[in-house]
Amino acid sequence: MIIFDDVWFSYGDREVLKGVSFQADFHERIAVLGESGGGKTTILKLILGLISPDKGKIIIDGVNINNLSEEELIPIRRKFSIVFQEGALFDSLPVKENVAFLMREILRLPDEEIYLKVRELLQRVGVSDAEELMPEELSGGMHRRVAIARALAIGKTKMFLYDEPTAGLDPVNSERIVALIRDLAERESIGFMIITHVVYVAWQLCDRFIFLKDGQIIFDGDKRELLSTNIQPVKDFIKELLFRVSE
Amino acid sequence: MTIQKRRGLFLGVNFFLHSLNSFVLTYQWFTVKYEAEIKRMLYDIQNFYLICINSLVKIFKRPLYINDIIEQMEYAGASSVFIVSLVCLFVGMALSLQLSAELSSLGLKMYTGKIVGIAVIREIGPLVTALVFIGRVGAGQAAEIGSMILGHQIDTLRVYGIDPIKKVVIPRVVASVFMLPCLTIIGDLVCLFGGYYIAVFVSNQSGSFYWSSIIEELTFENVFSGSIKPFIFGYLISCISCFYGLTTRGGAKGLRTSTTKAVVTSIVVVIAMDFVLTRILLYALGFSL
Repeated sequence: MIIFDDVWFSYGDREVLKGVSFQADFHERIAVLGESGGGKTTILKLILGLISPDKGKIIIDGVNINNLSEEELIPIRRKFSIVFQEGALFDSLPVKENVAFLMREILRLPDEEIYLKVRELLQRVGVSDAEELMPEELSGGMHRRVAIARALAIGKTKMFLYDEPTAGLDPVNSERIVALIRDLAERESIGFMIITHVVYVAWQLCDRFIFLKDGQIIFDGDKRELLSTNIQPVKDFIKELLFRVSE
Repeated sequence: MTIQKRRGLFLGVNFFLHSLNSFVLTYQWFTVKYEAEIKRMLYDIQNFYLICINSLVKIFKRPLYINDIIEQMEYAGASSVFIVSLVCLFVGMALSLQLSAELSSLGLKMYTGKIVGIAVIREIGPLVTALVFIGRVGAGQAAEIGSMILGHQIDTLRVYGIDPIKKVVIPRVVASVFMLPCLTIIGDLVCLFGGYYIAVFVSNQSGSFYWSSIIEELTFENVFSGSIKPFIFGYLISCISCFYGLTTRGGAKGLRTSTTKAVVTSIVVVIAMDFVLTRILLYALGFSL
């Protein structure tokens, strides 16, 4: 379980999170929504212990991770698979080496086994023909798919974290990524948290929606509650969704 | 106590209290205004020292990332040979030209080789090579690591328990520490050849005398003095570049800032360190001033 208890965080003088509190189970399908620069990605980084809060507690599976060292954070981070915005592939490595990277570094598997698994993973995410390409030769959608394959390479985790998985993608590629995320969640039967500002993507994938505005959670509820909310900023944000749902 | 003395004491105490009050107010104003900057500066200094220390402490801790070290050596070393040679050739020629002109007016033209030899081996070779190295390798390292920060690649390493110091910083530090001395040897040789070309073909001096006076200067003191510096310069350049790369924030503008800072800081530190090392080495090797 993930628990945020009155978490405050600032970048220099700019307060990004102001007393954020929520609880989430690993099996849940959660979307964290809000405007750009509203602290969504900060929440994800806090969960992974990549940054520490100024105030408040973050508890992952019963462990307060606030003051843990990098070594102590390793077992906490291993509970998650993360796909960063735009994939975060290593520019100097071809696709197959990017996917093989974690298997080689962490699992220390022999080369034959690694490349067998790389082929299998790339096939699973639908980019088997991109094995030898360099990251700069990939389209935005292929980037995300390869990043998902790399995240899958270290085996089953408790939860997937996606940072803006469809940002900058055309509708067709966006649909493909949504289908892939849904398929993975069903096949692996694990939950995920998606950081996004595209409400329709969140609607297609998630059961729970957390809205951030000015560093505070202004809405936390399910689909039914989202459609009937009276909170004006949330209503403004989901206008397009309401239009598409009514259609 | 007379009234005048009391008044004097009163004025003295009053002056002291006013001064104390002004000092406290100035201190408060200063800390409020610059608190964030001071904190950030101290935090940066602490992080820089941590990178310097960890890059030494963790060097033999497994995994060793040999392939990364070789790849970085190729980038820092082999790929820099041409530019180092080119710069050193012109520096050697300019130095020899200046010395020949000045010394011939004094009738001491035959000392050109001797002075070029001492200057290049002890000072100019290591310094010029280090400056070229900063521009090519240091800037590259800062920019590469900075873009890895902005592209979340460093975060990816941390998430999966891979130490960025071991995977990213140490291969670059090791490559710089071992490649800069190699480049300095090449740079010294090319510099001396540049000097030879001017001395023989422009200044009409004897080539064999030029080389024999240089060989005379290849003493332990001179060679040691010139060869210890590149190891230290390489370590400093790489630590500074990696530090600025790892502290990159804020998109393309932030990347530009961190790369510029890495280059400027490296240049200043290398030149200052060159002076300090020269002073220490002259003292340690028994040169009298």
